[in-house]
Amino acid sequence: MIRTLTGLIIVLVLGAVAASIIPDMQMNSYLSHAGEYYASNGVNDTGATNLVTAVIVAYRGLDTLGEVVVLFCAATAVVLILTLFPVGIKPSEPSRIVALTAKILPAPIILFAVYLIAHSQISPGGGFPGGAVIASVFLLVMLGSSSVPSGSERLPAVESLAGLTFGLLGFWGVLSVSQFLNNTFLGIGTPGNLISAGLIPFISLAIGAKVASEFSGVFRVFRNTGEKI
Amino acid sequence: MTSIFYWSIAGTATGLILVGLWGILTRRHILRTALAFTLADTGINLLLVWTGFLPGRAAPIIDSTVETAVVTSTVVDPLPQALVLTSIVIGVAVAALFVVVAVLTSKQTGTADVRRMKELKW
Repeated sequence: MIRTLTGLIIVLVLGAVAASIIPDMQMNSYLSHAGEYYASNGVNDTGATNLVTAVIVAYRGLDTLGEVVVLFCAATAVVLILTLFPVGIKPSEPSRIVALTAKILPAPIILFAVYLIAHSQISPGGGFPGGAVIASVFLLVMLGSSSVPSGSERLPAVESLAGLTFGLLGFWGVLSVSQFLNNTFLGIGTPGNLISAGLIPFISLAIGAKVASEFSGVFRVFRNTGEKI
Repeated sequence: MTSIFYWSIAGTATGLILVGLWGILTRRHILRTALAFTLADTGINLLLVWTGFLPGRAAPIIDSTVETAVVTSTVVDPLPQALVLTSIVIGVAVAALFVVVAVLTSKQTGTADVRRMKELKW
């Protein structure tokens, strides 16, 4: 009772604070300073017509590298905990609908994910969403069969290789033009074409492979019942 | 019309944050706490995207239909969207870690009720 009342009071006070602050955030009719620079110069600077990708991979590429490291730490912690202390969820026999779906859908979904990753510089999408979509296919296949997909023990190798690729692409910039993660030294091509925007497609590919193998590895270890996997 | 849409996004985002906070403060089952945490997370992401949203403008993708001369007055702010993409991915990783620790703790203490997890109290 006291717990509910305290919670209610805290939430109501914070709601009142939010209600008094948010209406003052007027509808702006202009962009933030950084946003204005990105909108005006993004295409010329990076060759990517998708400005969000331009910010994530080119302007703030170093932050994205840091984000990948954070993701790696969290995934490593999950895998470590579940390997040391198996939760031991015994897989039940999948229903016919799930089993059939897991046979039909993976190919089109992976095609969509490849589209998302390959077109990251010219349309919505990118390495992170594409990788997550591929990981969802892994989860679907895992639910559709009563065993862990064969070959998935090589996922950590894919993950390490993708992370290494990201770092090496950054150092390529250091060797060429003395700037870490510079993406324009190869030329930016024609903005709007599939092969354009310098290193952005390659970095997106590395991020996609890393996210996909990372999430798949986390899903895989949930099946750990204590036997050798 | 745009205004109603505009403010309803802010209202939904604030509501999600408050509901999530309410859940974290009052629920007893540890997995419901995790669920409330992800609700608040979603609300924060929505509020962040909303700060960069300008009614009537296009997505920040500069293709041939966007005039380069007036681009700063026709697209929304790309910066909050890039931030939120980062935030979503980190949120997923944190939620996965949360759930794993929650499952492990409830297995070791034999209960999923946070009030009975005496080891966590001081």
